[in-house]
Amino acid sequence: MLEDYAVHGARHVVDSPADHLEVLSPDVTLRWGWCRTPHWSKFRFGAPGSRVGSQLPDPERLLVSASSAVPTRTASVFAIRIDGVTKRFGRIIAVDDLSLTVAPGEVFGFLGPNGAGKSTTIRVLLGLIRPNAGTATVFGDLAGDVRLSHRHLAYVPADVALWPSLTGAEILELLGRVGPGIDIEYRAELVDRFDLDLGRPGKTYSTGNRQKVALVAAFATRAPLLVLDEPTSGLDPLMEREFRRCVTEARERGQTVFLSSHHLAEVEAVCDKVAILRAGRLVEIDSITDLRRLRRTVVEVSYLDARPSVENVAGVSNVEDLDGARLRFSLAGPPAPALAALAAADIGAVAMREPTLEEIFLDYYGQTAR
Amino acid sequence: MTPATTTRSVVASMSPAAPGLAVSRLSIRQVRRGAVIVAVVCAGMSAIVAVQYQTTFQGSIDQSGLRALVENPAIRILFGPPVALDDAGGFTVWRTGTPLLVLAGVWILLSATRITRGEEEAGRWDLLLAGGLRTADLVLRCLGALAGSALLISAAIGSGLVAAGTDATGAFVHAAGVLGVILTFAAAGVLAAQIMPTRSAAVGLTVGVLGVDLLLRMLADGVPALAWAAWATPFGLVARAAPYADNRVAPLLVLAAFPVLLAGAALGCARRRDVGSGLVAEATSRPPRTGLLGSIAGFAVRRAVRPTIGWATGIAAYFLLIGALIASILEFFDANPRFAELAAGAGFVGLDSADGFAAALFSLLAIPTGLYAATRLATMVADERAGRWTPLFAVPVSRSRLVCTEVAVIVAGVVGLHVAAALAIWTGAAITGAPLGIGAALAGALNTAPIASLGLGAAALALGGFPSAVGAVGALPVAGGFLLNVITQGTRAPSWLVNLSPFGHLAAVPDAPPDWAAITALAVIAAVLIALGVAGYSRRDLSS
Repeated sequence: MLEDYAVHGARHVVDSPADHLEVLSPDVTLRWGWCRTPHWSKFRFGAPGSRVGSQLPDPERLLVSASSAVPTRTASVFAIRIDGVTKRFGRIIAVDDLSLTVAPGEVFGFLGPNGAGKSTTIRVLLGLIRPNAGTATVFGDLAGDVRLSHRHLAYVPADVALWPSLTGAEILELLGRVGPGIDIEYRAELVDRFDLDLGRPGKTYSTGNRQKVALVAAFATRAPLLVLDEPTSGLDPLMEREFRRCVTEARERGQTVFLSSHHLAEVEAVCDKVAILRAGRLVEIDSITDLRRLRRTVVEVSYLDARPSVENVAGVSNVEDLDGARLRFSLAGPPAPALAALAAADIGAVAMREPTLEEIFLDYYGQTAR
Repeated sequence: MTPATTTRSVVASMSPAAPGLAVSRLSIRQVRRGAVIVAVVCAGMSAIVAVQYQTTFQGSIDQSGLRALVENPAIRILFGPPVALDDAGGFTVWRTGTPLLVLAGVWILLSATRITRGEEEAGRWDLLLAGGLRTADLVLRCLGALAGSALLISAAIGSGLVAAGTDATGAFVHAAGVLGVILTFAAAGVLAAQIMPTRSAAVGLTVGVLGVDLLLRMLADGVPALAWAAWATPFGLVARAAPYADNRVAPLLVLAAFPVLLAGAALGCARRRDVGSGLVAEATSRPPRTGLLGSIAGFAVRRAVRPTIGWATGIAAYFLLIGALIASILEFFDANPRFAELAAGAGFVGLDSADGFAAALFSLLAIPTGLYAATRLATMVADERAGRWTPLFAVPVSRSRLVCTEVAVIVAGVVGLHVAAALAIWTGAAITGAPLGIGAALAGALNTAPIASLGLGAAALALGGFPSAVGAVGALPVAGGFLLNVITQGTRAPSWLVNLSPFGHLAAVPDAPPDWAAITALAVIAAVLIALGVAGYSRRDLSS
């Protein structure tokens, strides 16, 4: 279990009894997290209608072996666990044997071109549709059992539709009252920050404003998991910046964010980890740092006399001669052989640059058919 | 190929009329299925009644009885002035004219607002209007498709009557009148869609116009001093044309002016307004009304209140009128017992007492209330498809609870509608001194609620399995069951076919004591259907 944590990039290190709780019980983590940050101390714990009581940790999940600190129910550790999920619509396979896990507290980017199966995966995760095979769990609760699994999450759909006759304020009131509990003061602050006019009926909102209503409703919840499906497609750059700040604040509060997006710069800016989907299959899942490292590095070299010979070196590709005794090539995998080849020549300067997420993304999709 | 030649070849392949033609085809696609169904039902009903008349009633009504029927204001108010009842065609027009006109009129006004304001509200007109077409062009194309539907329906009715062996001239005059009435409501629907900013408001306005037109016709036929009012309403004009009797052309010409003027007004409005809004501006901001937003059940009630009040108003107005006419109708049946026998032959037994008359009309009550239940669940599916439910699907409430809450609110609505009908008929009877007690009225009205619950059950079943057919499947037990009952009454149909209709099973409360076994059986069937529907809904993929 602890290995899992290391692999999946958890930000907490298990070294004290308090941290055991953080890792093993997401619910406790949250309560603790809320109380710790000034923002979330505004929560009205135990207020009428709040469901704090129902979020108390399941005693079974707190079972810890004193010697190894390994929990008996490993599944409960993950905010999201998708296990071999396949979903077919007629003859079309939308999602094909997809497995991934998201650790609590992580901001997880979910990338893929249109029709790759991102929204289908999210709909399976929300229990809106049933997978043909496999299971999905949210903090250990099966996605299909929405009374349990939806206590842990708030959702912003890709295409937000509002009840046409309800005003923004009325929609927020409804979702706040029937959802997993909200921070009213924080919601008021978000309305302000997103510059949202709440007096207008739903049908008069533009696409961006409808998205803002859904975002305010989701970020104001105390749900430990935020599932956001392309939430910024209709937002202007100012609002997009506000969105990124909200994701950062959610992470600071200990909330997990599952973000499906086409905005690679946004994913790069806010996400700890990224999964890349193609034609319903997972093609890559890694932290952004490792993703860059594993993919390729762009190397530019200026040499003094003899041109270094790197053509047949392991990991080197796209060798290009530039003006003025300069050379550019891509490097993938361990850099030692290429560095050795460079060391053999008389090198003036070396510049190495990691690829942007966009370059990585295009690497996956640029040359191959979906 | 250079860009210039590319452009030229595209222009060459698309003639200037092509975009308009494409929109016309789209409009026809959107109405053709419903038009064919309505045409088949209307033609079938007309032909069946005409054939039934020839085989059972022909020659059995004497002249003094006919005079009494013509002179009775209650009969004239309810069914219109009876002319040429000694002719199969004349009888069919009198017996089926108003119900079929209302059926076709309501269908076409719903279609008219759906393909205009509904499409515009969904944002699909923005795409169409991005080309060379203007709003008025689209409105014109929609009017064309609706006119085609109206022509199909009226031609089907005329052909049905001719095929049943009635006089061709009378059939033609009746079909022309039907065409005028349906076209009027099609154009009224399109005009309302230009005036009102939402589809529901446009539907409400047009249904209101239809109700006022019916009321005007009733007043014109019931009150001699107001007879002129018949010239102001399509229902009155189509009766003034007197098919199979006088076959007058003048009322038809006046009737023809209605759709022309309304369509002209609609096109004029379409030129003056912005796309996405009506001539009536919508409030762009208002203070929040947070009542009934605290729970799933509260929200279900909040969504149901307005439509339920609309249905209750229509039903209560009709039953108030019926209640007020009971005394007059009882007098008529007292003086002409032969008509009570004929009515009994057509399935309405015991019309010669207030209780019997009320019982017969309460069995009709289940049709609108059953349709109410079906439309409520159809609305739920429409909202699901539009993605409005999606935020509520993401809260920790099970799907079975969501749908059970919805069903419970609809059951309460159905009971409320039946109670409203009972109170209305009792009020009408009390005003005119007819012998109908409030207890009897309530018992009779609630007795037929289980039939409406079958409509709800069928709609719920479809909600779980075939969500696109919720409205049609929900309408089947009440509308289909009633048609089956009417058709099998006059023919020697096998008993299993007769028993398929829920209308034949209940006792005629308050004229007879309630048949508890039948009530329980219907309620149990409805409950089983609902349970299956809830199970299906909990398991199926949501379209959001």
